[in-house]
Amino acid sequence: MGIRLQIVKTVQKILQRSGRGGSFPGQLGLLMDRNFISRFKMPATVILVTGTNGKTTTSNLIAESLRQSGMTVLNNHRGDNLNVGIASLLAGGSDGSYNIQADACVIEVDELTLYRQFKNLHPSALVVNNFFRDQLDRAGEMETIIRKIIEVTEDFEGDLILNGDDPNVLRIADHAKKARIHLYSVGENAVSREHTDEASEGKFCPRCGRPLQYRYYQYSHIGRFECPEDHFGAIEPEILVDSVDYTTGTFTCGGRRFHSFVNAIYMIYNCAAVLTVMKALGLDPEAADRVFSDYVLNEGRHECFELSKPCEINLIKNPTGANEVMKDIMSRPEDKNICILLNDNDQDGHDVSWIWDAHFERLDSPATKTIICSGTRAYDMALRLKYEGLEDRIKVIEDAAEAVKWLDEADMNSFVMATYTALHSTRAILRRQAAK
Amino acid sequence: MKELNILWMYHDLMDLYGDKGNIQVLKTRTERRGIRCSVTACTIGEPADATDYDLFFLGGGADHEQTLIYEDLLSRRGNIAQALAEGTAFLLICGGYQLFGQYYKDQDGKVIDGLGFFDYYTEATTRDHRCIGNIAVQVHMDGCTFNAVGFENHGGQTKNVSSPLGKVLKGHGNTYNGGFEGFVNDTVLATYMHGPLLPKNPQIADLVIKRALKKRYGETELEALDDTLENKAREVMLKRLRVQ
Repeated sequence: MGIRLQIVKTVQKILQRSGRGGSFPGQLGLLMDRNFISRFKMPATVILVTGTNGKTTTSNLIAESLRQSGMTVLNNHRGDNLNVGIASLLAGGSDGSYNIQADACVIEVDELTLYRQFKNLHPSALVVNNFFRDQLDRAGEMETIIRKIIEVTEDFEGDLILNGDDPNVLRIADHAKKARIHLYSVGENAVSREHTDEASEGKFCPRCGRPLQYRYYQYSHIGRFECPEDHFGAIEPEILVDSVDYTTGTFTCGGRRFHSFVNAIYMIYNCAAVLTVMKALGLDPEAADRVFSDYVLNEGRHECFELSKPCEINLIKNPTGANEVMKDIMSRPEDKNICILLNDNDQDGHDVSWIWDAHFERLDSPATKTIICSGTRAYDMALRLKYEGLEDRIKVIEDAAEAVKWLDEADMNSFVMATYTALHSTRAILRRQAAK
Repeated sequence: MKELNILWMYHDLMDLYGDKGNIQVLKTRTERRGIRCSVTACTIGEPADATDYDLFFLGGGADHEQTLIYEDLLSRRGNIAQALAEGTAFLLICGGYQLFGQYYKDQDGKVIDGLGFFDYYTEATTRDHRCIGNIAVQVHMDGCTFNAVGFENHGGQTKNVSSPLGKVLKGHGNTYNGGFEGFVNDTVLATYMHGPLLPKNPQIADLVIKRALKKRYGETELEALDDTLENKAREVMLKRLRVQ
């Protein structure tokens, strides 16, 4: 009975006692038994969350909302979304006989891992947020990822919760004939635009190949689209956000008002996904709203540190995410310094060309005083900014600790944007610097 | 005032891996020399006479996008041939590179005809032999020899290249573990190097600009620019790849 699991759990306990968790236990489990993940007896409610941006936040909001509804929930809240992370999560959340000890699992799954683990995790629901260009050297072309997800959902009989405003996500509904489809959408609001310079995907109808027509764009290629030929995109969403009020940080949906959690369009979509899950499970949306108003966001997302002046850190990993972070930063009128940490380790993707697809010209404002470029590809970042005419304000400080020290001594509000592998180390540096 | 006109083909479809950065670099480096630079974007179904331009730029695209543009591109063959004959300079990246050769054979054995201007041809490979990673190349172009860096990410193996752009110092090049990268002649530069290509390789950028100016103005000297950041960014990568 579960000797291997016992070993994994013992190792996990020892590591946790010395303050280390991490993915090693899962790695060990998969090393001893390649079918380790499939051994677990999952609860009836297993919600998987995938997509390019917002997986960690959305899955945390869902997990918290279920907890607020009185359920016990197992979730990978730090975003360890690959095989080893998921194996660690399940080992830690089970008894010695592979029984998961929770009413529900909410698991963020990497888009590529989803294909391999979908059936092993026995999902009752799958949430798909969006598909943007991301780490092409690691993930391959987006088209391949979408096709693989279509393949695994073709005979899926559970709840499929899809962003109806992303043509690449809505495509999945055409093929998942057995699933219960639940779509969410966000109506026209103050940030909606008739034209965009951000969209690079979703230009063509997946049914007939003709260009899609957009009534408005919200951000990137997310918006209200329809094919004039076959009406792909003419949806009746189950959850429709009818209005967004950016002055009060609220939105309305189904005749009631909700807190926006974070006052930005991409977050309204994450909230809409959560509300769709609540509805599919027959739970009161009030619980979700309590989470939207009180929950503290995952580390490294709008996280603030008290240097001599406040310093906020955000994750950036692809053009769409970086564009939204920059919009948010530049919406704050105060004078500021900015620090961009660009790494090219395995989890960041080795190819940093994506910075040329992101709109760094948005940083060009009189309120932007200095832009520190740091990380393993600091000079690539500096070069990118040079070609936006920001040459006179660039400073290269390759070492992250030195960069943070500079921000602290500059005595001005600051914003840090860091790629994945720079995020946690820089947070630790910020924490130490703030304590000085 | 001198001017340089760039035709940017399929800007909305062949725009993978930040290739648009090349346009930004060409425009900035041209304007900093006091030369006016205009960029005209042209996509499927839109009219453009390639002979009107000094430089023709075509970037890389995903497989799906490449199949979308291919018929439109072939319909322009005669006009592009004339531009080649009249001395328009060409900068072709990845998919653009492949489409100027004889053909592209995909993984299922299906053959897509290229424009056929050059003898090289491209055949898809298995997933294991995809060429992905940082690359360093010793470039030989217009009588100059220097080291360039880029990022390659292609499944296609391009063979029978008569005059490569350079020798691979680290990375793959035209074929998996191959010795040579890209294709170059007097007016055409074709390469798999993304990154994008030009920001970290200002020498290539300036040679391309000189080729484009040659069409109307003959040999043109370009004044030197401050390339401290450009050189530093390239050196960081060359050092990492242990290429001096």
